[in-house]
Amino acid sequence: MGHQFVLLISASIFCIGAAGFLIRKNPLIMFMSVELMLNSANFLLIGFSSFQNSMDGQIFALMVMTVAAAEVVVGLAIILTIFRTRHDMDVDHINTLKG
Amino acid sequence: MFEFDLFELTRATVTMVVGLTAVLASLGVILCSAPIYCALYLIGHMICLALLFLLYNAEFIAAVQLIVYAGAVMILFLFIIALLGGKKEIQEPSTERSVAIVFVATMLGELFFSAAVGPTKPIEGVFDIQTVAEVGGSAKAIGLELFSRHVVSFELASVLLLVAAVGIICLSKFSYVPVRRRLK
Repeated sequence: MGHQFVLLISASIFCIGAAGFLIRKNPLIMFMSVELMLNSANFLLIGFSSFQNSMDGQIFALMVMTVAAAEVVVGLAIILTIFRTRHDMDVDHINTLKG
Repeated sequence: MFEFDLFELTRATVTMVVGLTAVLASLGVILCSAPIYCALYLIGHMICLALLFLLYNAEFIAAVQLIVYAGAVMILFLFIIALLGGKKEIQEPSTERSVAIVFVATMLGELFFSAAVGPTKPIEGVFDIQTVAEVGGSAKAIGLELFSRHVVSFELASVLLLVAAVGIICLSKFSYVPVRRRLK
């Protein structure tokens, strides 16, 4: 399959992830949407690295996975800390820093 | 005489089906109201993407995707959902949501429009399928590149993981309540 397929699938997944991040209120599902966006970028990198006979795209995808793993770990710890103090899972209600 | 390449045809069909499944699974992630179903859809999406990586000649990345994402990260998500209790979220339409959907639809249209641009000038790298096979597989080719040309970014990634590990220990050990007590 050609460039267009990779671009269309990747754009669709990225936009679905962005929509999920904007319309959902549960921070866990917002994190899942961020994962969707990162994964769509990974797919684009892998597809184009395959088209251009290069390894650079795959190495970039590996770096993106590292960053995503670190981001998820820290983000989930922050969610857990917020939930421990507030017992509330709605991001719209979290509007003070020290609360 | 009509002739066709059965391998290429099968490969194109499988790629199309797996790609569409990935898109549908990602729709399931954002449309389900219970977080546990979202996590299950996300696992399906990760597996579909690993298959796509395989179809685009990235075997090592496909394995890493399965182990890191579908394994480690999703287990972490499931643990957090089990810990916090997956409460269903009531989704009612509001102004913010319509604005967000219009914004995302515009972005999708722009991205599709940019995908319609014709082929750009390709940069031919040295790692075609034959070379990768001669080197000894995708993992070895990635290792050769990673430890020669990209060694600085590799070390930086390891430092990033170390910082994340230290940060999560700080976050979970010194939680908010003891800090307030200490200030008093």
